[in-house]
Amino acid sequence: MNQVTQHYLDQFNAARPALAGAGLSWLEDQRRTALERFQKLGFPDQQEEDWRYTPLKSLTAKSLQIAPEKSKVDLEINRYLIDDLDSYRLVFIDGKYAPKHSEISGLDDLVVVDSFENVINVRPEKLGGAKRVEVPIEHGFAALNIAFSRDGYVVDIGDNKRLDKPVEIVFVAVESDLVTQPRNILHLGQGSKAEIIERYVSSPLSGSLVNSTTTIVVGDRSRLDYFLVQTLQNNVNQITSVDASLAGHSTLNCYTMTLGGQLVRNNLKIGMEAEGAHCEMLGLYNTSGKQHVDNHTTVVHQAPHCSSRELYKGVLDGRSRAVFHGRIKVEQGAQKTDAAQSNNNLLLSSIAEADTKPQLEIYADDVKCAHGATIGQIDQNSLFYLRSRGINEEDARAMLTYAFLNDVLEEVEIEPLRKVIESVLAERLIDDE
Amino acid sequence: MLSINNLHASIDGKAILKGIDLEVGAGEVHAIMGPNGSGKSTLASVLAGRDDYEVTKGEVFYRGMDLLDMEPEIRAREGLFLAFQYPVEIPGVTNMYLLKAAINSVRKHRGMEELDAREFLKMIKEKAAMVEMKQEFLYRSVNEGFSGGEKKRNEILQMAMLEPSLSVLDETDSGLDIDALKIVAQGVNLLRSAERSMVLVTHYQRLLDYIVPDYVHVLAGGRILRSGGKELALELEKKGYGWVEDLAAA
Repeated sequence: MNQVTQHYLDQFNAARPALAGAGLSWLEDQRRTALERFQKLGFPDQQEEDWRYTPLKSLTAKSLQIAPEKSKVDLEINRYLIDDLDSYRLVFIDGKYAPKHSEISGLDDLVVVDSFENVINVRPEKLGGAKRVEVPIEHGFAALNIAFSRDGYVVDIGDNKRLDKPVEIVFVAVESDLVTQPRNILHLGQGSKAEIIERYVSSPLSGSLVNSTTTIVVGDRSRLDYFLVQTLQNNVNQITSVDASLAGHSTLNCYTMTLGGQLVRNNLKIGMEAEGAHCEMLGLYNTSGKQHVDNHTTVVHQAPHCSSRELYKGVLDGRSRAVFHGRIKVEQGAQKTDAAQSNNNLLLSSIAEADTKPQLEIYADDVKCAHGATIGQIDQNSLFYLRSRGINEEDARAMLTYAFLNDVLEEVEIEPLRKVIESVLAERLIDDE
Repeated sequence: MLSINNLHASIDGKAILKGIDLEVGAGEVHAIMGPNGSGKSTLASVLAGRDDYEVTKGEVFYRGMDLLDMEPEIRAREGLFLAFQYPVEIPGVTNMYLLKAAINSVRKHRGMEELDAREFLKMIKEKAAMVEMKQEFLYRSVNEGFSGGEKKRNEILQMAMLEPSLSVLDETDSGLDIDALKIVAQGVNLLRSAERSMVLVTHYQRLLDYIVPDYVHVLAGGRILRSGGKELALELEKKGYGWVEDLAAA
């Protein structure tokens, strides 16, 4: 075991007495298993195929402090919220639930929107025991997160329930040199519908690591629109691990929008577990300076007659680097699978780098699978065409860049959210010039 | 309006234009005709400022300004318009958005206020009707999935919106059926005025039945070999380009 691993184990032992859920056997089991996994795995390194394009040294060499039990709450929160978005809202500051800034009134008994810690302390039965919150741990970051299982959000929606407005969960990173580890749980029962916006933002001073996990279960015939939106400052690192399972005839629309952060690695794993499930994975990233964004996605088709569609688009500038790894696995029984994947990159600078790696593993014989990847530059003919209409070169470039991302952007149906993404994007594209 | 003196241009080191002289006065319509590979489209591209071409010699003045010294967007804002032979498809940018950005950058350059949404809509409706373009096309991505005729009509719509002083139409008639050709010609004719000049680059005489030029020039081998009135086009039609190619070789 190396020094860094030992450092986090020490931190865990110090925090342990204050962790919620003492006496809940399923949670204690999870923590114990996760801790053992962490001791064994440590943090990943570039020797491992799944991490080879992403140098984690700057992140794992530093001994960051686990966020304290109490966090600063007197924060000018409005600047971190989405204008004109009518939503239920949970706010977390440095990983700690901030009820003062949250708004969850008007929800009925079929719906839980609360912090993980509150649910564990007050109504742990809502999590329905170990089975529903089981987390497959594939790397040291997820292991560390689950070992702590400290705070994060729980959204639990019963059967036949359509939420009247989106739930927005905002994680604000404020202090520096901290690790915050949101553990999030998102459950939809049968025949339900919800829109969840999970956002990560930070104050200019932060400089921390956010290590989150989100476990998603979409029940029979339910539909979930899930937005993971990262607009962190460029001094914050983030590792996310999202693990979703889809029941029969359910739909998951999963959006990953990365417009900030120094090093961001998103692990997305989706299991198509029963017939007729459908999933759309849409990704958008814009990197500049020395940013590094790595989207690692896996779709596992376990059941027949499921479909998945994946489209990730990125614009890279400066010395930045973006990695896309898209794996589609079709298991033996998953006949009539229809899976499509594509990743397109637009390079605005000659020293930016995109690595794209599609990977198909197919064990069934009657399936339709397609994948494609492109890395290109601004089209000179289009640029000249716009300039010949009086539009200056800078604006023409921004227009074409924006247009490139448009087929992902236009899929965001929640207008206030799309506007925020558009304005962050516009600011970034103009700043880069 | 436009004065071209001894213009030479090349692409990838290969000389295409070998000494063009041309004077276009205000309100005049000039047709430039010539066989394939004669340098017609190169001339149009050089005038609009495409940087694939290198001007090796000569000068071009546009309304007294040194045209070759101006960026393509400045040329456009000063009232020069190129209708492309092959209009570019731009997925993700709507016609409406492009036109608004274009018009407002031109207006800004001339010290005018931006058009408000209502004025803009009124103007675009009127001009779209002129080229018989359905409203729905305005909300589609620029030229994406448009037929050849629709693309050319879209060029004329842009031209009508920008109200240029000098329009260069590069093979606007190519690939058009007779109905589309009539619509395009009608759009162009409506824009003719004593202040506006036009340069029509074309391979065929056909377009000139509908847009009657004041002058016709025959371009071959990178030089203008003959200039005359509209009757020169008819002579060309009768004798074919073999005749001028012989002249060029001589």
